[in-house]
Amino acid sequence: MLRSRPALLDVIASWTDPFLSAPRVADSFPNKWAPEMLNITNLRRTFFAGTADEKVALDGLSLSLGKGEFGVIIGSNGAGKSTLLNAISGALQVDEGTITIADDDVTRMPVHDRARHVARVFQDPMKGTASGMTIAENMLLAELRTSKARLKPGLTRKRLDNYREQLSYLKLGLEDRMDTQVSLLSGGQRQSLSLVMAVIKEPDILLLDEHTAALDPRTANLVLNATLRAVSALKLTTLMVSHNMQHAVDYGNRILMLEAGKVKLDISGAEKEGVSVQSLTNHFAIKSDRMLLGA
Amino acid sequence: MNEVISTFIALIPVTLAQSLILSFVVLAIMIPFRILSFPDLTSEGAYPLGGAVCAIAMVSGVPAYLAIPLAVAAGFVAGCATALIHLRFKIHTLLAGILVTTMLYSVNLRILGKPNVPLFKETKLFDYLDLGKGMNNLEKILIVGLLMGVVGFGLRLWFMTERGIAMRAVGDNPDMAEAQGNNVDRAIFLGVGAAGGCAALSGSLMVQSQAFVDVNMGIGLLINALAALMIGETILGRRKISQQLLAPFVGSLIYYQLISFCLAAGLAPSDLKIATGIFVLVMLGAPILKGKRNTTRLAKESIRE
Ligand SMILES: Nc1ncnc2c1ncn2[C@@H]1O[C@H](COP(=O)(O)OP(=O)(O)OP(=O)(O)O)[C@@H](O)[C@H]1O
Ligand SMILES: [Mg+2]
Repeated sequence: MLRSRPALLDVIASWTDPFLSAPRVADSFPNKWAPEMLNITNLRRTFFAGTADEKVALDGLSLSLGKGEFGVIIGSNGAGKSTLLNAISGALQVDEGTITIADDDVTRMPVHDRARHVARVFQDPMKGTASGMTIAENMLLAELRTSKARLKPGLTRKRLDNYREQLSYLKLGLEDRMDTQVSLLSGGQRQSLSLVMAVIKEPDILLLDEHTAALDPRTANLVLNATLRAVSALKLTTLMVSHNMQHAVDYGNRILMLEAGKVKLDISGAEKEGVSVQSLTNHFAIKSDRMLLGA
Repeated sequence: MNEVISTFIALIPVTLAQSLILSFVVLAIMIPFRILSFPDLTSEGAYPLGGAVCAIAMVSGVPAYLAIPLAVAAGFVAGCATALIHLRFKIHTLLAGILVTTMLYSVNLRILGKPNVPLFKETKLFDYLDLGKGMNNLEKILIVGLLMGVVGFGLRLWFMTERGIAMRAVGDNPDMAEAQGNNVDRAIFLGVGAAGGCAALSGSLMVQSQAFVDVNMGIGLLINALAALMIGETILGRRKISQQLLAPFVGSLIYYQLISFCLAAGLAPSDLKIATGIFVLVMLGAPILKGKRNTTRLAKESIRE
C-alpha cells in the first residue's frame, strides 16, 4: 500500500527545501534496536575460485541492522562494498552464509522476489531507470515493485495524478514532463527520480551505492539532502556506501568500515557521536601502512 | 511505362492479401527485436511450422478455425524453445533462433511426411466468406484484415496494462526490471513465444491462401520482414508504443507493393534478394553514417549479445 499521502508528501516537500539543512539523522535514533530488519551471517563470495585470479570479495562477513537503522559503509576501493550490496539485493549469488530481511530468509531468493523487500539507487543514473520509457511508466514500475503486475490498466488517471503530485515536490518540473523519455533527463534529474522511485513504496531496506558520486557537487548535495530527509522521515532501514568520510561522520547512526570483505570497524551509539574524520582516516592510514609494508 | 502501371495495378489485390498475411511475420520480428531487445530468427522456422501443422490438421479433418490455433500453439512452443536455449545455455539469441529453425526443418518434414502437401478439397478459412465469383482476394483481404485489426488492437491494450508495461521494461533495462520485481525470464518466454505464435499464424493463413504447403516456404522470408519493419518504422517513427505496434502492418503493406512494382517494372525475381538486402543495409546503416544514431540505443541492442 502507498504510505498515507500527507505523510509522504510532507517528506518529499521537505526534501528540496533550501532553507532546511540536512538533518543529523543520528540525533533522532533511540538506543535499542528492535526488531531486527537485516541479518547477515558469515557471508562468503570468491571470484574466479581456484584460478590465479582468485579474489575473495566477501570473507565471512556478518552484520545486522535494526529496523530504522541507517548505516554508512566506508572502505577503500575493492573492499567489497558493492559486492555486499549486490549480495543483499540478490544481483550476486553468495557461496556461503545467510541473508535474512524482515525475518524472511532471502539467501537463495531470486532478485525479482527479493524486490518486495529491497529498493536500490545505483551510482550510475542509467541503471536505476528504464531510459526508453517515460517518467510516468518508470513511476508505475516502481509502484509495482512490491506487488505483482496484473492484467489491469497501467497508467490510470488516478495514478498519473498521484505521480504528478509526488514529483511536483521535487521542484524539478518533472511533473510537467510525465510523457518524456527518461533518457532525455539530466543525470541529477534521473537520480532524483530514482530516489522517489525507491521510496514510493517503502522498502524494508534501502541500498544506496555511491548514488551521488556521478553528479556535480551542487546536484550531489541536492540528491543527498533529499535522501537524508526521506530516510529520516520514513524511518527507512538504510545502507549507504560513501567515499566521503565527512558523510560517515555526519549522517546515519552507524559507521561500517569494510576491509578485504569483512567488517573491520562497526561504530554506533555514543562512540559514533565522538568519531571524527581524523580518527577514521587514522584507521585507513594504519591499513595502508600495513599494505605498504606487506608489499 | 503504361504497361508497367497496369500490371502493377492488376497485382494490387493479390499483393495486398499477401502482405496482410505476411504482416504477422513482420510483427513476429518486431516484438522480440524492438520490445525485448532479443533479436530473433525463429520466425523463419515457425512460419513453415505453422503452415505444416495447419495443413496436416486440415487434411486429417480438423476444421480451419481449429487448425489455426493449433498452428499458433506450435509456433509458441518453437519461440519458447529459442528463449529456453538462450536463457538456460547463454547462447546468443540469433544463434539460438538459427538452431531452432534448423531443427524445425526436420520437424516440419516429419509432420508433413513429404516436402509438399496440397490443400484442395479442404474448407479454408477464406471459404467461410463467400462474396461470389472472382472475389477471392477481397475475401482474403477482409478476413485477414479483420484478424490483423483484432491482433493489433489486442496488443495495443496489452501493452497498456501493468504487465505489458513491465514487459517493455524487461527489454529496456532488464536489471532494473528485475530489481522492480519483474520475472525477466518469464517475460522473455512470453514475448518470444508470442512472436513464434504470430509467425505460425502467418504460415497457417498462407497455406490456406495458396492451397498447398511447402517445407521450404520460409526461406528468405526474414529479410523481407526486416525490410518491411524498417519501412514502417521510418514512416511512423517508434517513439510511442502505438507507433511501434503499427509499424509492422504499415511497413508490410508498403514493402510488398514496392516489390510488386519492381517486378512489374521488370526486375528479375532472382535479383530481389540482393535488392532487399542492400535496402535493409542502407536503412540500418544510414543513421550510423550520419552519426545520428544515439549510443544508448546501440548499447541496448547489444545487451543480450
Ligand atoms: N563480477 C566480478 N567479477 C570478478 N571480480 C569481482 C566482481 N565484482 C567484484 N569483484 C572483485 O571483488 C572485489 C570487491 O569489489 P567491490 O566492487 O565490492 O569493491 P568496492 O568496495 O565496491 O570498491 P569501490 O570503492 O571501488 O566501488 C574487488 O577486488 C573486485 O575486483
Ligand atoms: Mg563499489
